[in-house]
Amino acid sequence: MRHRGLVALAVVVALSLPLVAAAQEPYPSRPITLVAPFPPGGVADLTARPVAAAMEKVLKNPVGVVNKTGAAGAVGMQFVATSKPDGYTLLLALSSISIIPEADKIFDRQPAFTVDQFAPIALISADPTILVVRAESPWKTAKEFIEDAKKRPGQISYSSSGIYGTLHMAMELLSHAAGIKLRHIPAAGAGPALTAILGGHVDALASGPAVVLPHIKSGKLRALAGWGDKRVAALPEVPTFRELGYPEAEFYIWAGLFAPKGTPEPVLAKLREATRAAVAEPEFKAAMDKLETPIVFKQGQEFQQFFDADARRLAAGVRKVGRVEDKK
Amino acid sequence: MLETLSNLGLGFSVALSPPILMYAFVGCLVGTLVGVLPGVGPLAGISLLLPATFGLDATRAIVMLAGIYYGAMYGGSTTSILMRIPGEAASVMTCIDGYAMARKGRAGAALAIAAVGSYIAGTASVVGLMLLAPPLADFALRFGPPEHLALLLLGLLVLAYMSSGSMLKSLAMAAFGLLLGMVGIDQMSGYFRFAYGVVELGDGLGVVPVAVGLFGVAEILATAGQPTAPKVIKPRLRELLPSRQEWRESIAPIGRGTVLGFLVGILPGSAHIISSFVSYAVEKRVSRHPEQFGHGAVAGVAGPESANNAATSGAMVPMLALGVPSGPIPAVMLAAMMVHGVSPGPLLIQQQPALFWGFIASMYVGNVVLLVLNLPLVGLFVNILRVPYPYLYPAILVFSILGVYAVNGSVVDVWIMLLMGVLGWVLRKLDFETAPIVLGVVLAPLIELSMRQSLAMSDGSYMIFLTRPIAVVLLAVGAVLVLMNLYTFLGRRLDWRARLAMAEKGEEAP
Repeated sequence: MRHRGLVALAVVVALSLPLVAAAQEPYPSRPITLVAPFPPGGVADLTARPVAAAMEKVLKNPVGVVNKTGAAGAVGMQFVATSKPDGYTLLLALSSISIIPEADKIFDRQPAFTVDQFAPIALISADPTILVVRAESPWKTAKEFIEDAKKRPGQISYSSSGIYGTLHMAMELLSHAAGIKLRHIPAAGAGPALTAILGGHVDALASGPAVVLPHIKSGKLRALAGWGDKRVAALPEVPTFRELGYPEAEFYIWAGLFAPKGTPEPVLAKLREATRAAVAEPEFKAAMDKLETPIVFKQGQEFQQFFDADARRLAAGVRKVGRVEDKK
Repeated sequence: MLETLSNLGLGFSVALSPPILMYAFVGCLVGTLVGVLPGVGPLAGISLLLPATFGLDATRAIVMLAGIYYGAMYGGSTTSILMRIPGEAASVMTCIDGYAMARKGRAGAALAIAAVGSYIAGTASVVGLMLLAPPLADFALRFGPPEHLALLLLGLLVLAYMSSGSMLKSLAMAAFGLLLGMVGIDQMSGYFRFAYGVVELGDGLGVVPVAVGLFGVAEILATAGQPTAPKVIKPRLRELLPSRQEWRESIAPIGRGTVLGFLVGILPGSAHIISSFVSYAVEKRVSRHPEQFGHGAVAGVAGPESANNAATSGAMVPMLALGVPSGPIPAVMLAAMMVHGVSPGPLLIQQQPALFWGFIASMYVGNVVLLVLNLPLVGLFVNILRVPYPYLYPAILVFSILGVYAVNGSVVDVWIMLLMGVLGWVLRKLDFETAPIVLGVVLAPLIELSMRQSLAMSDGSYMIFLTRPIAVVLLAVGAVLVLMNLYTFLGRRLDWRARLAMAEKGEEAP
């Protein structure tokens, strides 16, 4: 109960403080809120906590994580997009930050937010997805899988974390690059998507490596290929799609730090510097190691390029999916 | 068997070590509080506490989080029985007969039965978890979308037993609930349905705000609307414990609730909520006095409260044996393991025997702790009823709003709760029952998703439901139940429902 009280107190304090605007004081002089737009226990949350802890140490200023969840992350992202750009409200976003506004466009909706409402600070991690099939399935290599899919368009099925979700987009990028058509069975989250393939209700799944590794080791699933620009460290024998001749099939579940657009340049500079020091902290490295998530740190121009390239691929992917009903 | 015993010995040596014991106790205590507070359920409690466990080792973290989960099932019945406010969503059914018992001055008995039922269910289902986890987990995986749909349709038949009044009215309420369940992002196409530009509505109407509004807020409004405040029920000490008769009536429902809850719990979805609905229906079906349901039937408390507790252990089966979550709460617990570098999966039991068996043993210990904690609290909680309504109800309203807000930190949820409260009050005035609405809201998204997933799997062919053995069996059971009811109806034989309606009108049943 003590912890609960503390957490609740921290949330209240963190949410109310930005209202007391302070113009002239040096940054940071009051607690910083890091918004994770997904529930506790998800990738965003699990990355945000060690980032916040390490930044707190570097900045010598409290950094609290607040989970503002809902609508596949749109609620939290919209919250930060419209927050005061003073460097006290930051966002830890995943790849979906580029997907959601595109999906809104597809449906002619007023977008909840747009990508240019954010100022990128740094990329923290990027985990390529890998393609897994059940161990008893006939495909031994990605090549066999793709060739079979070409012969039987729309017959091989895969599960995903949800329509336009990260795991769906990974598969769409592959379908696009390889010119194949697969059958999509969306599930309500990455957990149920994994259950669906383990139970034999679908044939394939694109997933973050850490989640499926135990099942590959136990002999239930087989990894065919990865979406990264290099092979996954834990699976050195599994090739990348790039090696196989599909360079457009590149996809990462990445986590990056953003501030609202309009945050003063000195504040952004300070935050960049702090993030760089934070990811070098041994505690941070240990925490990410346990999650089996590789730290990939990019800043400034480098992050912008990565972000732009990723957003371009994803936007094309979303447009290719289009409205699902319209296709039939 | 011998190996299991020696493993369990290892488990108890872990579970009874002072630090683990302490974290189990803290978890149970927090769980009870989370359960008692209206609106705040185990998911919110576990989510809020998850960051605090990052500094602990994996076994301590998981023992504490599990304690919150099953502890909340103990606490959830308290406000349901005393004030008709579900402490968490799985206690909705307890509101009906538990509260009716309280109005008759049997609040203490209802609370005691709920606690003892929870204890028996909790302990027995841990035995099930310990002995049957790997085979059951494999069976659970075979439940794909078509099997799920068949099971959920069976769940809809539960409706027939949920109301004690007009069948037409309860069907109308269920249909309304199913419609409410349509709000939110369409999982298959990404459309925002009925969201009217409110991003928060993308996730649909939550079960918690709907249940707390329809039951709790509506009850408060109804009480406030009476010309004279209802008399405060002053409980007497000797009335705290259940009578011999009440014990006898609760034994069988506890047993059935345990088995049922455990089995439903293994399957993915909001198992602990559905298990309590199904248990209530089963009890009413097998009861020799179905007319007592809704008016303080002991079985209506004992069954569902046991079922929701057994379901929590059931939900651990796929999590521990396979490393896959069967719902949002096990998902958070899996994350807690990953934070500590324990990769959940099929190899967990071999690789981390101390964690697995320590966890199992801690659940035995935790259930004892909860019983010891809850039985003396019965006396304390019952005394809440002594507080005059003008003070009690505003306080409860404040707690409900705080609780519902705390779940997602969303003001939209608070508005949903308040609107549902007004709606629930109107419906009560018009003599509609509101429990079917909650059932509809719980089931609609699950039914829709599993149906559309099934059809996506089969490329639109409905034959998929008739070619998979488990689905066929479940659908056949459903069909038989419908036919049985139809037979009664066509044979013009009046069932208890009609007899009851006539008795209320002062007529003799023919």
